[in-house]
Amino acid sequence: MLNVNRNQKNRNKTPFLEVRSVSFSYDEKITRRTLNSVSFFIDKGERVAILGHNGSGKSTLTKILGGLIEPDEGSCFLDGVDMNEIEFRDLRRKIGMVFQDPENQIVAAMVEDDIAFAPENQGLPSEEIQNRVDLAIVEANLLHKKDSPVSALSGGEKQRLALAGALAADVECLILDEPTAMLDPKGRLRIEKILRLLHSEGMTILQITHQIGAENFDDFDRVIVLSKGEIIWQGTTLEFWDRAEELGFELPDEFKIKKFFEDKKIKFPDALANFDFNFTAASDEKKIKNHEAKFKIKNLSFKYDEKNFALKNLNAEIFSGEWLSIIGRTGSGKSTLVQHLNALYKIQSGEIFFDGQTLPQKGEEVHTLRQRVGLVFQHPEDQLFSPTVKEELAFAPKNAGFKNSKLEDAILYGLECVGLEKKFLDRNPLALSGGERRLVAIASVLATRPECVVLDEPLAGLDASYQKKILNMLRRLCDSGKTVITITHDLDTALRFSDKILILRDGGTVREGDPGDVIEEIMNVLEPEAWPDVLRASAEIRKINKNFPFIYDYQEFIKCFSQI
Amino acid sequence: MFLSNINLGQYVPTGSIIHKLDPRAKLFSLLFIISAVFPAKNFFQLTFWTIALVAVVYVSKISWGVLLRSARPIFFLVAVTFGFNLLSAYFTGDVSTASGVPASLFRAVFTSLRLVVLMLFAIMLPLTTAPLELADGLNTLLRPLERFGFPANECAMMIGMALRFIPLLMQETDKIIRAQLSRGARLDQGNLFRRVMAFFPVLIPLFIIIFRRADEIATAMEARGYDGGAGRTRRKPLVWKFNDTAAVIISILAAGSFFII
Repeated sequence: MLNVNRNQKNRNKTPFLEVRSVSFSYDEKITRRTLNSVSFFIDKGERVAILGHNGSGKSTLTKILGGLIEPDEGSCFLDGVDMNEIEFRDLRRKIGMVFQDPENQIVAAMVEDDIAFAPENQGLPSEEIQNRVDLAIVEANLLHKKDSPVSALSGGEKQRLALAGALAADVECLILDEPTAMLDPKGRLRIEKILRLLHSEGMTILQITHQIGAENFDDFDRVIVLSKGEIIWQGTTLEFWDRAEELGFELPDEFKIKKFFEDKKIKFPDALANFDFNFTAASDEKKIKNHEAKFKIKNLSFKYDEKNFALKNLNAEIFSGEWLSIIGRTGSGKSTLVQHLNALYKIQSGEIFFDGQTLPQKGEEVHTLRQRVGLVFQHPEDQLFSPTVKEELAFAPKNAGFKNSKLEDAILYGLECVGLEKKFLDRNPLALSGGERRLVAIASVLATRPECVVLDEPLAGLDASYQKKILNMLRRLCDSGKTVITITHDLDTALRFSDKILILRDGGTVREGDPGDVIEEIMNVLEPEAWPDVLRASAEIRKINKNFPFIYDYQEFIKCFSQI
Repeated sequence: MFLSNINLGQYVPTGSIIHKLDPRAKLFSLLFIISAVFPAKNFFQLTFWTIALVAVVYVSKISWGVLLRSARPIFFLVAVTFGFNLLSAYFTGDVSTASGVPASLFRAVFTSLRLVVLMLFAIMLPLTTAPLELADGLNTLLRPLERFGFPANECAMMIGMALRFIPLLMQETDKIIRAQLSRGARLDQGNLFRRVMAFFPVLIPLFIIIFRRADEIATAMEARGYDGGAGRTRRKPLVWKFNDTAAVIISILAAGSFFII
């Protein structure tokens, strides 16, 4: 199980950080251990990934490694000294931490003040604090935001600020818990670039994550895999990639492509300049649309304040039995648009027709509309409030006036849609796992049998298995004739699963069409970092070989090279 | 947005003289000004303080739009005050008039205006002082109480953090309201009892979110070496400057002159 060679090599050396049979449990009776006899070590200057799915105990492990909670059994050693015997202040000068949500790590209103927090806690003289701030702000690539208030920072910049805040403590080791999970692709790349640089300068980095993405798949020295509180595998990154799939992790397409060409001994992309591809476009079995549009949006405009348009002359048509993905950069008006569909925002100018009728704007009709058009917000599991799943599912139907057997039917229908068993009805929603809570939240909207379901980032933060469940569910809803609308950052999913794509820019429609037809517009609107790996690779090839098509599906991509 | 436009006293950096004042000087001045505006008895005094307020806002470079938007939640209070004073003639039977204007109307206008001036002065403090700086100032002022076991450090940091998180919690509340409205919640229908009950689906998730955030921010602060603030130093230590003395003296003189008159 362990990498034997590595253990022997390090036998006579004290590791920088050592975890010795650490166990931890949140409940006192220890019915379920969050961590069970976990042991490993990290050498100075190493960059290690701790991989685990939701509920594997990785966040607990993060806190134990950072000395923020004490394990029930076992100990952690820093440079050979038991962490429990290290003074709080000394420990905080060795280990810096960055967590998932940047908002919850920022304490001050101004960038420099926030970075200064850690050195101030260390009781340093003012000049020294300023030096630390000056250094950390450059390391985190935030110099241009030196005098900004925190509120003017983007999500990625806020996370870089959190990183600067940890660096300012002048630490030897960084522990990061899903530092890029809430960022867009560009923000993710920037953080990875900084971490790469820090690592090359000798920083020990421990990154806890649920998957290794295309942006950092060859950055780690070692990988440790945690599952249900136990370490099930550890080894070098190269060894990990050979076993990733059997360990339950998906290989990034970019990695697969790289490996494909390496195996074929083809230099990518240079050797493909004069290559003759055998590409036949997939047979188009386009659905014939002989029905009326479910939603017809005409010249819709909306302003939050006097100056800026959130939506500007937007036009779109959305059909029954179709799955539409709305894509666009942050601030392109996606959320504002969908909140018009159930009259959360009132129409300022333009028209929306729902089943040929003008969309109601007030009174009892709006309640009926909200029953027919279900809206699931981002992280809907945060909006649960009932003591049991049953009551949670009953909320929307009750509001819609369902009673007795009709109410019971609605509850069971909701549950069935998301594929949860009946035994869940009596459970407390807060005691469920994150993925289950998401399903309950979606079920609570589906219970009223809406004809149209709108979901904002339904897959965000979920494991692959739950993502698959939700994608299948949405496909089933579509096939049963309902209209499904999703907002997503995940282009790969949008291209692969939805029937149609609506591209927004600056509050207006750039293009509405089938996934295969809109690729070039997508590439214009979204930055390359956001493209699916396969699309980026095919764009790369197209630069030197105009005959190569735009492809976003890995299997299709591989087919092009089938004659090699 | 339903709620996110409310930005209850969020720091607005403009770099003005007032922003650069020591937070202690601002706290002292505010204390003197409030203790003078409260007992203000006539329109002459009120006019003086209104002019003073306009002057302070002008010097601070904070726009009136921002200031009034920050103060929006208190205008409800002002309206209630106005209404009750206007109706006071009913209860007291005082129907006297001063040069043709009913005394109750006069009182209603006067009291409301005084309240507005008072509140706007008070709101200028968090608008011109960064939360941590304010916490610092409060901390030094509260320190004498530590002798009696009062947790000055923690208390000051708590106020600073509360100010920092107001906009975030407003956004969260807004989002939850939208989500529950989408599920057909009737937040604005029925009698008072039903309306209050209707807010549970908003309040419960909000509290869960607040506790989770509080837990996470506490962990993050601990990870950056915060353990109650003892032995903490500052990047920019509070330095009492000439301007600070001047500000306090001006407020004392302004406030005091009315007591003497």
